[in-house]
Amino acid sequence: MVQNVHGTYISEKINKIRWRPDAFSYSYAFVTGSWDNDSQNSIKLWRFEEGDDMDIFPFTIQSFPFQGDITEIKFINPDFCVASSSIGSLSYLKFTTVHKGDTQITQENRWEKIHKFKNNDNSSCTGFASYNNDIASVGEDGCINLLNVEHKNVIRSLNEADSSCLNCVTFLKHSEILTGNSRGQMKIWDLRSEDVKPCSTFMLSPDQVASTCLTYHPTQRHIVIAGDEEGSLTVWDLRQNTFPVNLLSAHSESVAEIQFHPDHPDQMFSCSFSGELWHWITNKSSFHGGKLLDVSEVEINPWSSTDQAKNKFEVFMLMPKLHKPINSIDLNYNRVLCGCDNEALYLIDNINIYN
Amino acid sequence: MFEAQEVNAEHKDLIHDVAYDFYGERMATCSSDQYVKVWDQNSEGKWNLTSSWKAHSGSVWKVTWAHPEFGQVLATCSFDRTAAVWEELVGETPGPGERGTRHWVRRTNLVDSRTSVTDVKFGPRTQGLQLATCSADGVIRIYEAPDVMNLSQWTLQHEIQCKLSCSCLTWNPSLSKNHPLMLAVGSDDTNLSAGGKVFIYEYSDNIRRWIKTDTIASVTDPVHDIAFSPNLGRSFHLLAIATKDVRIISLAPIPDNANTQSGLNKLDIQTAAQFDDHGCMVWRVCWNITGTILASSGDDGCVRMFKMNYINAWKPVAVLKGDGSHISNEGHRSSVSSAASLPTPPMAAVSQTARYIKLGTISQSREAPWH
Amino acid sequence: MDATLKTFIIPNELCRRAGIVGTWVRVNELGVFPSQHIKTTNSDSVSLYGPSDASVFNVRQQVVLFEPILRKLVNEANGIFLSVQELMGSNVPDYKSELLKLSRQYRSIIRACLENLQEETVRAKATYKEELQNYITIFYSVECIWHLCEILFVENIPGGIVLPHLLEWVRFHFPKYERNAASLLREDVIGAELQPCYWETVIGSLMQGRIELVQALLEVHSSADGKPFQLAIQTLRTMPLYNIYGGISVSEFNLKWKHWVLDTQSKIEAKMFSSERHLNLVMRLAVGDEVAWGEMQTHREPWYAFLAASLFFKEPTVKAFELGQFARQCIAKVGGAVKMRHLDQVLLASMELDIIQVIKEIQQMSENGWFVSHLVDLLYHAGRLEGLYSDETKVIGSRLRESFLLDYGTLLMGHHSLWQVGLNYLDHCPTEGLSTIELLLPALPLKSEARTQKIIREAHKRDMPQIVQSICKVHTMDSISKGRLGNALTWGLKSQDGGFTSLIADKFLRKYKETGVLLNEDLLDNLGSSMLISDRLIFLGKYFEFHKEYRLKNYKEAANILISLLASKLTPRYFWDTLLCDAINLLENNVMVISSTDTYTLLHSLEEKCELPELKDKIDLIRLGAARNLSRALLYEMQLDKKYT
Repeated sequence: MVQNVHGTYISEKINKIRWRPDAFSYSYAFVTGSWDNDSQNSIKLWRFEEGDDMDIFPFTIQSFPFQGDITEIKFINPDFCVASSSIGSLSYLKFTTVHKGDTQITQENRWEKIHKFKNNDNSSCTGFASYNNDIASVGEDGCINLLNVEHKNVIRSLNEADSSCLNCVTFLKHSEILTGNSRGQMKIWDLRSEDVKPCSTFMLSPDQVASTCLTYHPTQRHIVIAGDEEGSLTVWDLRQNTFPVNLLSAHSESVAEIQFHPDHPDQMFSCSFSGELWHWITNKSSFHGGKLLDVSEVEINPWSSTDQAKNKFEVFMLMPKLHKPINSIDLNYNRVLCGCDNEALYLIDNINIYN
Repeated sequence: MFEAQEVNAEHKDLIHDVAYDFYGERMATCSSDQYVKVWDQNSEGKWNLTSSWKAHSGSVWKVTWAHPEFGQVLATCSFDRTAAVWEELVGETPGPGERGTRHWVRRTNLVDSRTSVTDVKFGPRTQGLQLATCSADGVIRIYEAPDVMNLSQWTLQHEIQCKLSCSCLTWNPSLSKNHPLMLAVGSDDTNLSAGGKVFIYEYSDNIRRWIKTDTIASVTDPVHDIAFSPNLGRSFHLLAIATKDVRIISLAPIPDNANTQSGLNKLDIQTAAQFDDHGCMVWRVCWNITGTILASSGDDGCVRMFKMNYINAWKPVAVLKGDGSHISNEGHRSSVSSAASLPTPPMAAVSQTARYIKLGTISQSREAPWH
Repeated sequence: MDATLKTFIIPNELCRRAGIVGTWVRVNELGVFPSQHIKTTNSDSVSLYGPSDASVFNVRQQVVLFEPILRKLVNEANGIFLSVQELMGSNVPDYKSELLKLSRQYRSIIRACLENLQEETVRAKATYKEELQNYITIFYSVECIWHLCEILFVENIPGGIVLPHLLEWVRFHFPKYERNAASLLREDVIGAELQPCYWETVIGSLMQGRIELVQALLEVHSSADGKPFQLAIQTLRTMPLYNIYGGISVSEFNLKWKHWVLDTQSKIEAKMFSSERHLNLVMRLAVGDEVAWGEMQTHREPWYAFLAASLFFKEPTVKAFELGQFARQCIAKVGGAVKMRHLDQVLLASMELDIIQVIKEIQQMSENGWFVSHLVDLLYHAGRLEGLYSDETKVIGSRLRESFLLDYGTLLMGHHSLWQVGLNYLDHCPTEGLSTIELLLPALPLKSEARTQKIIREAHKRDMPQIVQSICKVHTMDSISKGRLGNALTWGLKSQDGGFTSLIADKFLRKYKETGVLLNEDLLDNLGSSMLISDRLIFLGKYFEFHKEYRLKNYKEAANILISLLASKLTPRYFWDTLLCDAINLLENNVMVISSTDTYTLLHSLEEKCELPELKDKIDLIRLGAARNLSRALLYEMQLDKKYT
């Protein structure tokens, strides 16, 4: 099977793209969220079918109008997702199949303007993380909001938690989150604590480079990777200490998103504003004969081993470099989706994951 | 083809000036009713009034925005002999349009003039916060706020006597370090024998003074408006003048000809274009952001647009004219922009969407090419 | 002049009575309001029109390219445009054939767009449908002209034998006959001629030069076995077709062609086809019989389809440069000169190889310069804009190209979302592109920090530190008005302007003086080397460190910092009293933390500043504390000295 790139122009810039998960099999549906539209943005649900000629033509099933730029979309389960906006609100959306092939998107809950400035101007909600039904959102206002999809109201607000703009957040455990801000400060927050104070703060780099995205290793949650605005990836093993264990200079501009393959943690994907989409594979020859990593192999987790990091990866470009930023990626088995500022989405199938 | 959105300005008399901020998202209007109003465009494109206040005790002639590097700052000038600098404060209590209440505070009142202040303009942003005014008795004043975070302190830096009554002024926006600060001032003195009505002043770093470097002798009729074109990295400057016709003048510094005392170069002054399309007095001239299209307004009730083609020749490209006789209700109804027909998102007020009317034309001939 | 100008009407009565004034809002928008000049020396009274109900009209150009359905064209073409620029910058020897491929890619996106529009038209309702049909008309013309220009100006035609390409062009844009023929041939029914479109299809195919198809169609006629049909099929089979690679010269071909025509004419004159009226017409057309062709002119085909057909049968070896003259003849024959539509004008200009006229005409197509910009760019790179004249002045190709790209790029920069695409065009304007970007890029509304970052990256990439600085300052001021002083400092630091950063640091210090609270400690704690940009910020950073140490009860360290601040030249005038008051606590500390030398330093700065009015009531207290500490310190140091000596 050959790796194929299928491009579709959709007439709006895509800030987020996510597979709609299918509990049992390959997914044939996904959502896009736009940004920077002149009057209104939208969340669109797409489906695609594979034709005889192996070509793939995604088509829109449903379009849901959305105020402000869509800054993050995450599926809680196959029928529900949460989306955040640049005007400081979050929405809890439900996907209902009405009849065959026809799906409706309805808003089950909305947390209106939960990120805002003192003068009542909207603040962008720059992103959120989810842990089961719990959500932690962050914004330009430096505020952290804790929500639960079942609850109409905000459960807790950490106002002015950060002096700078918070760019990214991830759960380390159910009671602990990690945030990154525009000065490259990484802060761990114990959500059980009464104080609006992080329990630890460390730097992404000594030069105050802004962190742009965060992700954790699928099987070893204490291994965390952050992307920054210079295009580098920084790796920490938070069990040991807060000094980076690895620094990979990667892209030539801001890293937009990083994602591990959930079933193959030896593989990672990253995209950037420089228009690059990369597939990282740990060079197995240097490890135990190509065996996949598991928890017992902590010592040799290539993402967090410091020596000669460069030799441990093979990096593949999944597409020729685009002239515009690639803002978002998502993967499902051996398919990668990406959404870009050239108003196109790309679906790459048959990615070489398995050997 | 053009379309228009109507915004009822809610002034009680004619509007003298409308100024848009650096991004074209805020609009300030001033009128004979002595009020200044500020309008903000929402994300759907509709203009909403966010502030309105009595700014002067006479007609307000001009209103102008400072560069946003200095915050949200306006300057006005009036028949009441003053010019004022205003700064916007945003309160924490919600005001109209879900934003905080905003009000404009008068930071300073410049009372040096003994006659009507006819124009007021902020200097180029690279020079800090400078403000020039001119008045009917022929005095140009340049003020400066040394601390850009404290706009209540302004000092009168220079006072230039122009002899003739001044009606308008413009700063040269050139960002090049090779060009000295430059101002052009127009006079509406009706005495043709008084000679040229446009004066060029340049600031000499050597002697720290403004010096009149030239008078544009070819313009002897009264001048009502004047505007330097945004400089596209050219070696020469373009100046548009509203007088009995539309004039575009090029000013080219003559190299190696600097005055030994002031260090300023003499200018080679040429008329680049002259249009009597209005056929009568021209009141206003305005350049677009890239200096490629000039809009002029005249006594013929028209706004005319002129564009430069690729061989630097200027040509008229379109005309706008007011006419209320063809307004049909139907036209209004069918004019709802397509944005309004989309399903409205939850929480969005329908009235927040901008409506655009397609503009009719009176000439059936083909559109003139832009080149 | 005025005759060719369009006048647009502002539907407002006050605007008519008082007159109007226009002010630019942004790239594509003009604010128009009713106004009348008042001499400022007159007395200030209510105008003739007051009290009035004045409106401001925000007038903007309607841009069809911004319609979602056409935006695909904008983005996809942008990709190809960039490929063209890359190709031309990469020194590929065979760039001409690569250019041709890219030209075809442009056409394929127009095709895709047209198909898209057609699908949408089926679904659309009333007014929108009309709009879509309007777009289809526009882009159908664009496709047709582009294709012809590609053949005449981009493609390298061997021997200049243009006819096969011309026929291909006609076939592509009039696919009706091919479609009909396919269905006629598919049906196994005997007697295809019973289909109403049969003869129309035969003749249509003949006119498009598809001789084999004509033979096949004749074969399915129910009388195909009859003598006239068999003879006709036979004759057509022997018709000589010119092929540049056929191995025979033009003159040899012409000889063969004349021979075939004579032979066929004699068959017609012998009335060998006259039993079949239509068949007879087909054969007469094939030999270029003027009377037969005269009959054909009333056919509904446009002149250019007719032109290609008549050239096929009369001048198969026509060269590109001769095309114009034949085109004019053809138009005269069909009597079309009077009803020449815009498309006809452009096609005629192309056939006359009058590129300047083509460019002039296609500017008037209402697709906002998409077509003219991309085509002119392509023609420029294909070397077709050299040595051209317009109104007897020499046209400088590079400037012509640049002026279109500037306009198109500026138009896109004026769109809230397409500005990134606009930048790509301005980047390829060698003379005025960068300065236009310098004007337009900072004027993009900032909105969210994410958008601001993207705008800043574009300025960085083009090495425009001034623009980056300006945007950072705007964001700083915005953060201040939003009550986010910490974020303001973050942006102030990004601006790399020391003086400006000092002003923000001042705000922190003044706030501290007012409230006794140092704001945004998380930020102050991590200033690192970035504080070196401004003395005031160094002071703020150090002062924060002093507080930190003091709070941690590291009084000795706190004292060291305080003394170094007193000794430095960094302390702002308004902060001296605060700093000296802070000293009191340390002087009075249970454990001695300030050495004698440091106490002298403190006293020295106290004497320097004793004139400050705000210190007036504290000065004695400080002096007392200093004196006490000095005695403590001297005693201690003396003991220490003893110990070591």
